[in-house]
Amino acid sequence: MKRIVPWIICVIFLGWAVSHLFPRKPASDFNVTGFGELPVLAGGRIMPLDTLARVSLSQMNHHGIDGTANNESSVQVATQSQWLLDVFMMPEHADIAKVFEVTNPDILDLFGWQKGGNYSFSDLQPFFAQIEHQAGLAAQTEPEVRNAFQRGIIKLRDVLRLYVQLKNTIQAQDSPDFGKEIQIFQKVIGPGLQAVRDRDDGRSYDQQAFERILLFTQRYQNLVQAKYAFAIPNPKGKTENERWSPVSEALLGSIGTGNISYPVIAYSQMISSYRNGDVAGFNQTLTEYQSFLKKYLSHDLRRPVLEYYFNSAQPFYQALVLYLLVFVLALLSWLVWPNTLGRTALLLLGFTFLIHTAGLIIRMYIQGRPPVTNLYSSAIFVGWASVLFCLVLERFYRNGIGSVCGSVVGFVTLLIAQNLQFDGDTMEMLRAVLDTNAWLATHVVGEALGYSAVFLAGIIGIVYIIRGVFTTSFEETTAKAMSRMIYGVVCFATLFSLVATVLGGIWADQSWGRFWGWDPKENGALLVVLWNAIILHARWGGFARERGLAVLAVFGNVIGSLSWFGVNMLGVGLHSYGFMDQAFGPLLAFVGSQLFIMAIGLVPLKYWRGIRARTIRQPAIGEAVPAHAVPR
Amino acid sequence: MTSSLVQVFKPLASLKLTIVCLACAMVLVFVGTLDQVQVGVYEAQLRYFKSFFLYFSLPGSQLKIPWFPGGYTLGGVLLVNLIAAHLSRFRLSWKKVGILILHSGLILLLVGQLFTSVFEEESQIQLDQGQTKNYSESPYLDELAIKNSAGANDDEIISVPASKLAKGASISLPSEGLTLQVNDFYENAALIGPKQLPSENYPHLRVGPMAVAVAIPKTYKQDERNQPAASVSLLQNGQQVGSWNLASGFPQPIQFKIESKPFEIVLRPRRYYRAFSITLEEFRHDRYAGTEIPKNFSSKVRLVDAAAHENREALIFMNHPLRYAGLTFYQAGFGNNDHTTILQIMKNPSWLVPYVSCGMMAMGLVIQFGMHLISFVRRRVVA
Repeated sequence: MKRIVPWIICVIFLGWAVSHLFPRKPASDFNVTGFGELPVLAGGRIMPLDTLARVSLSQMNHHGIDGTANNESSVQVATQSQWLLDVFMMPEHADIAKVFEVTNPDILDLFGWQKGGNYSFSDLQPFFAQIEHQAGLAAQTEPEVRNAFQRGIIKLRDVLRLYVQLKNTIQAQDSPDFGKEIQIFQKVIGPGLQAVRDRDDGRSYDQQAFERILLFTQRYQNLVQAKYAFAIPNPKGKTENERWSPVSEALLGSIGTGNISYPVIAYSQMISSYRNGDVAGFNQTLTEYQSFLKKYLSHDLRRPVLEYYFNSAQPFYQALVLYLLVFVLALLSWLVWPNTLGRTALLLLGFTFLIHTAGLIIRMYIQGRPPVTNLYSSAIFVGWASVLFCLVLERFYRNGIGSVCGSVVGFVTLLIAQNLQFDGDTMEMLRAVLDTNAWLATHVVGEALGYSAVFLAGIIGIVYIIRGVFTTSFEETTAKAMSRMIYGVVCFATLFSLVATVLGGIWADQSWGRFWGWDPKENGALLVVLWNAIILHARWGGFARERGLAVLAVFGNVIGSLSWFGVNMLGVGLHSYGFMDQAFGPLLAFVGSQLFIMAIGLVPLKYWRGIRARTIRQPAIGEAVPAHAVPR
Repeated sequence: MTSSLVQVFKPLASLKLTIVCLACAMVLVFVGTLDQVQVGVYEAQLRYFKSFFLYFSLPGSQLKIPWFPGGYTLGGVLLVNLIAAHLSRFRLSWKKVGILILHSGLILLLVGQLFTSVFEEESQIQLDQGQTKNYSESPYLDELAIKNSAGANDDEIISVPASKLAKGASISLPSEGLTLQVNDFYENAALIGPKQLPSENYPHLRVGPMAVAVAIPKTYKQDERNQPAASVSLLQNGQQVGSWNLASGFPQPIQFKIESKPFEIVLRPRRYYRAFSITLEEFRHDRYAGTEIPKNFSSKVRLVDAAAHENREALIFMNHPLRYAGLTFYQAGFGNNDHTTILQIMKNPSWLVPYVSCGMMAMGLVIQFGMHLISFVRRRVVA
């Protein structure tokens, strides 16, 4: 019986996770899923419309689409794709969806609003001139020294512009019925072109046809400004640049050829059906368009479809929740039913790790890159590697410490990743200097492995201190095991961070002409190497024993976080692709908490509950505790 | 080893010294990195890492008090400490072979970097489409150059580093008994129209009919450089030849004559003349489809070295430099609507050292930790 319990618990929670891996059934009868899978070229890569929706929404607010459902908005949208469908085809609906987050008090004051929250495009419309004016003023300040108001107003202007661009992705936003418009346009092109030719050659020409074609040309030339997402494929194009174009280009191009390309017509028919509530017509056109794509553009189709499922499965979010659960189970196992709960925690950790791994591999496949390409993916990878280390440690020590530490690092790093994804597309294209898989796979991955080992050692150090100072479950064997774990992990941290840092130097020599330039990011990596070297030498020299090692390892968390995130906040140097200006507060709080834990660790050993409990339990020789039992 | 030698080595070889040095290095790197926000990467390098001490100058005095060891000091002490430790403490044994290789790699790296920081020479070459140059320019340093075109074959160029130009300085030049007198010198100057001067008496140097140079604070920003200006006089055997105002921001040579021989004087970014020439044939700036995100920068150049019988094309792009004649050419920037390329040129005789030491350190660590790991796993399996 006891052997089965862990499996039963695991199956229950895995069932929950797996049930989320499948896309939610949209409330609408329109084939929103099929729409969400359609490919589009945006940000330099081909993505499904669903990703375009998510990336756009994540820049507009911090809740994705779910934030709108709770608001007293008249439009209830269930999924990101559904929202984008409205933006594309029913802009008047999308305009009243509350998706624009406004929280800065100064910006709210500007509009005379009291409450921060999500507002709709229509809510903001009366203030457009003001927003443009204020953002224009703010943009004159250098980015590093902008205050919260200036950053906020620029961001608001940018997302409003983005929204307008989205509305004009497959049609002209003000068209009452784009399907009809395209039909008329098709009829106008032939006679119009003839009229233009006649006029150029000085013959008599059809005045009406000439004016009509002129009108359409002007109308679609206005659309040219909207070129954020390229939705119209051209199967004949060889490069991505030739294969995808914005709708304006496709429409203007058809004046030259006399024929409107099929994708434009398909989209225009979908718009008409959608606006008329014609479910069957919409789904029919969509299916036809999909088979067109399959036939002529199968190469550009494979990854977007997978990415759509990846988006809705949210493997990293599932893993985040499960890691938290493992943490609770593992902590409980130290208090009650150590065997059953301990086994359950470990088992669940293993399964969660598999979900985490699957997510990582699918991401790598979709992007066609090694695992770490930006801060977001570094957080995911650092967490993954730490959990892997923990599983290995648990394999050897079987004391539950691996489960606790692995789940904590997994949870925290995925939480960081969740917050980093609001910066935009997490699979963004890589700037020229980074466009090399060989270095990304060695230097960058090595640094990330180094960080994960540093943080893991730090977490074990924290567990050592907390258990020793506050609990009585601090037997000599456990303490010794933890100390050895820290030492082993620090060895790994040294290996990875040293080799990766020197490799980074060689990469720098290849691309910038110097091995070492004292750039902040390089210095951050150097600090990690130096700190690991200090820990190892302090241990070999006998200056730090068990307790000392734990305290030093906790300081590794400080150095690691400064090197990982802190140096990005300086805004100096050549590694400018990782810059960020927020999160200074959380970083400071983290550093403060680590210093506090170190201070606790430095409390004289006679006050440690764990060690006092030992003295009571084993007054073996006389009254003194054997010297070797006391960590120094 | 004799006991007296051991006595000398002992404090030098101490592990405590290692840890203190490493800790100091961390403080130095941390403070030096933070200060880059204020003074920029280049200046911070000079102050913190390529220096023997950090100095604290008392306000209002010239007194400089060293308060913390700089990069050279710490690197040097660590090097001595490491070597001393190996000489006094380590015995050659298989158990320590990993550490030995690792430390040898580290010594090589430190020595190599010391070598690099002394001998490395950084310059840039800016080429428009079709333009040919046989020199590169320093991105940081300036020089006062006097060209003597009277020679039979090549022009003779006398270069005085701008760092030697200080108000009141008198510098004797190695040619024709010339002496340079510096009447005034601005470390960084802005060129403005004469009417933009706050007042007529505002200190300035007139450098042209439409431009005057006024002193401005030194800049440490990444995308700006200091452009000095100077007022100098040239004397031949005590007799004044001429007097000019020069500005590096307007490096137009001024012509003059000594005994009817043609000369030129100019203040300009420091030049490094090469025995070969480089021509920009094509610069490309590729972007990802539909975006402004750069995908690749590349410069197709023609390299002509008559003496070495070289005349060939080379393609320089990101992560793919051109190495020639002990120099390495990197794609560093662009301008002028993608018609101009900026190539970074590095002379670094010890560029190969890190490759070797990286290999050694990685091998050393893998051997050492690998031995630990194997014995640990064996013990666990037995238990």
